[in-house]
Amino acid sequence: MDLARRTFLKQSATLASGLAVAFYLPPSLAGTDPKAPAAASEFEPNAWVRIFADGTVKLVVHKHDSGTGTHTALAACVAEELDVNPMTVQVISPEDPFFEAYIHPVWKVFSTGGSTSVSLEYDRLRLAGATARALLVAAAARQWQVSPASCSTAEGRVLHGNGRHSLDYGELVAVAAHLPMPEHVSLKDPSQFKYIGKLRHKRDAAAKVCGAFQYSLDLRLPQMLVALLQRTPVVGARVLDFDARAALQVPGVRKVLAIPGRPDVLGGNQESVAVLADDYWSAQQGRALLKVQWSDSPLAQFASDQLPAAQAAAIDDPKALRVPSLSAGDVAAQWPLAKQLLEADYVMPYKVQNPLEPICITAHVADGAITWWGGVQVPSSALEAAQVVCKIPKDKVTINERVSGGSFGARESKYWLFEVAYLAQQVGVPVKLMNSREDEMRALFAHPATFHRLKGALDGQGALTALQLHAVSPASPEQWEPGYFERADHMDYSTTEAITAWDFAYRPAHLDLAWVRHESQVPSGWYRSVSFIPNVFAVESFMDELAHAAGRDPLQFRLAHMHDRPRHVAVLQQAAARAGWGQPLPPGTALGIATNQGYTSFIAVVARVVQEEGAIKVQKLTCVVDCGLAVSPGGVEEQIYGGLMWGLGHALFDRMEMKNGQVLQSNFHDYRVPRMSDMPPVDILVLDGEPSKPGGVGELGSPSVAPAIANALFSLTGVRQRSTPLDLSKRG
Amino acid sequence: MIDITVNGVRHEQVEAEPSMPLLWVLRDRLHLTGSKFGCGMGLCGACTVHLDGVAVRACQLPVGAAVGHQITTIEGLSPTQTHPLQLAWVAEDVPQCGYCQSGQIMSAAALLNTGAAVTDDSIRNAMSGNLCRCGTYGRINKAIKRAAAASKEA
Repeated sequence: MDLARRTFLKQSATLASGLAVAFYLPPSLAGTDPKAPAAASEFEPNAWVRIFADGTVKLVVHKHDSGTGTHTALAACVAEELDVNPMTVQVISPEDPFFEAYIHPVWKVFSTGGSTSVSLEYDRLRLAGATARALLVAAAARQWQVSPASCSTAEGRVLHGNGRHSLDYGELVAVAAHLPMPEHVSLKDPSQFKYIGKLRHKRDAAAKVCGAFQYSLDLRLPQMLVALLQRTPVVGARVLDFDARAALQVPGVRKVLAIPGRPDVLGGNQESVAVLADDYWSAQQGRALLKVQWSDSPLAQFASDQLPAAQAAAIDDPKALRVPSLSAGDVAAQWPLAKQLLEADYVMPYKVQNPLEPICITAHVADGAITWWGGVQVPSSALEAAQVVCKIPKDKVTINERVSGGSFGARESKYWLFEVAYLAQQVGVPVKLMNSREDEMRALFAHPATFHRLKGALDGQGALTALQLHAVSPASPEQWEPGYFERADHMDYSTTEAITAWDFAYRPAHLDLAWVRHESQVPSGWYRSVSFIPNVFAVESFMDELAHAAGRDPLQFRLAHMHDRPRHVAVLQQAAARAGWGQPLPPGTALGIATNQGYTSFIAVVARVVQEEGAIKVQKLTCVVDCGLAVSPGGVEEQIYGGLMWGLGHALFDRMEMKNGQVLQSNFHDYRVPRMSDMPPVDILVLDGEPSKPGGVGELGSPSVAPAIANALFSLTGVRQRSTPLDLSKRG
Repeated sequence: MIDITVNGVRHEQVEAEPSMPLLWVLRDRLHLTGSKFGCGMGLCGACTVHLDGVAVRACQLPVGAAVGHQITTIEGLSPTQTHPLQLAWVAEDVPQCGYCQSGQIMSAAALLNTGAAVTDDSIRNAMSGNLCRCGTYGRINKAIKRAAAASKEA
């Protein structure tokens, strides 16, 4: 990264909007830095647009792309208003990832996640494109001595007078760079959109089908060493001693180093011993010969199968933190009045993200600066690692960002950044840290196991009068936001998804929904769809139980308890209709329905299960989505498909277990994930939603799948399954 | 030291023990990084290459076992990167993160090599050893059918 340029960016664009100040490099600065472009050869009106005199257009996408299509969708938002083709212009990551404009508007860190990239950046990116366009138009109008309003733009050119005048954006750079910011910038009416709402392809497919696309794993640098780590097998254990003699005999193994743990830093790394070698194969052989003596750990007795009992006990523990997430009326007063009272407990296990590209990151510490190469989803964490481990300040941190081979939450962890920063500082040459699949499985960043207890009261008409829910889980954000629980409401919004006022669908008169904090001391982490998964599984399964107890149709029962939720009602009704809900079904076939809302989007899922020759299988998934404006409809469809597949995984496979403080699973033979043969036909309908606002979709698709399948299995077999993975061999 | 033939090119005296997995020879000795590492146990298919036209998992194949055979990687599937599967993959916009797609395409190419009928069943059988975590199975199915149809017309 060009530091002179970064400094100037910082000093000039003072407002975090990234739109405030026209930017160009003054000759004096350009003159002092041979790498800086000459004054008028480049037009950078804001944090997202770079136009060069040769006509090159570069759009900055400040969000990590882990396959979610942000490079296409976000570029399209800028390109639409700038009037360039988002599929053919260059897309780059920020030259300075810590420029204020790139900070997450809600979390206040430099990060990608929470299905927010399109929904929260949409307006700003369009404005960035429109502002640049207005300046280019003004520059052309000045040159032609005409009014800007009489000019138009198309495909990177400003036009006037029926094509009599035409200038490429690159030809306008010199003038546009010196113009004052326009006072008023108008955005396109959605009916004029050429790209937004119409994209069916993503930018980089061609490079990804011929092996040319460069991932973190593919990086090669002179003198680079590959590091493979022997991390603590029992969470919390420390390195007492290690014997590296045999490991160092392996050809290619260069060094063996202990890495100190950083328990003082939230989300910091545990202790480990690193084998540094010329390549992965040498490092792997060396690691196998490494002998490490580990200390005892207070968690050496930890067993995940004991968690549900401990979590249940927390509900009755007056010392446990209990935070109401949605309250109305008085549920306790309703219990004695109920015609029927139902109670049920729901359990979900630890789940591991398992992106197909295991964590891989390269760092080089030299001359008091650190350079990163790889899929850095959270630049703030790379900065923290540099500062904490290497004492390197922000202006000496460079990130060469790469698209990653999936994340699903895994790349929001920090341990690997801390580990590689330490190694890079110790050895002084570039270090590429690689996880094996086993390392990935045992990263102790799994989706936490959860326990839910529900109680519901039905009246004589089969209506739900009171509902109580206790959602027991550890806290997520404290790892990331020290002091989180010092806030007045103590609310952990990442554990109460789908059970708060804005995203809980049902409104009986009496409600008591609460999160109960239970910490096992085993670290856990972020995971695609976060607490929507267990909360929706519990609520949507229990609504089904209530409907059956009330003798009512599960769809009608849901609709009867929703008020003022037209988008929610619409997806439910349409999904039901598409799946043939209420129509006669062949023998041995059953449907189950479930729904969730999140990221200002809505989805309903209908699962169809069938019993054939004794075996039960999921025969089809049908879903209807309302995500408002789908900026990239092809991208929305594939995100939903992926989400449904993840939901199928939760329903049938995902389960990480621990015994004696150690993870039992190690690779895809004992931790199953969905294969093509597991995936049923899928019917996805994305509604034409409200055109002014896109909602999030990356994490929308999965939560309703497990309860929809569980509900279908109940209809088929009469057996209610309240823990995942579901058992397809259970019969009534 | 070992001699192997990859994508029609003979590489002599490659610095590798015969027990070194082919995947790491390809990636770290020949710098053909299109074949990916996902599990190291032959369970995910990200490293799929062809040995004499048949799909094998390069992470499980000692390079010694590949001596004397024709090895084809994603880089050598088509000299112009226009194999019908590659064109179909782009047309259907299959890749999300893309990390598994080299292996997916090599497995699909091996299926087409057999000359077997391309049906949902044969696709499922050929492709279920290749994991995708993003969720591209539906589009992979479409792309293979598209490529099979294009090959027939050609």
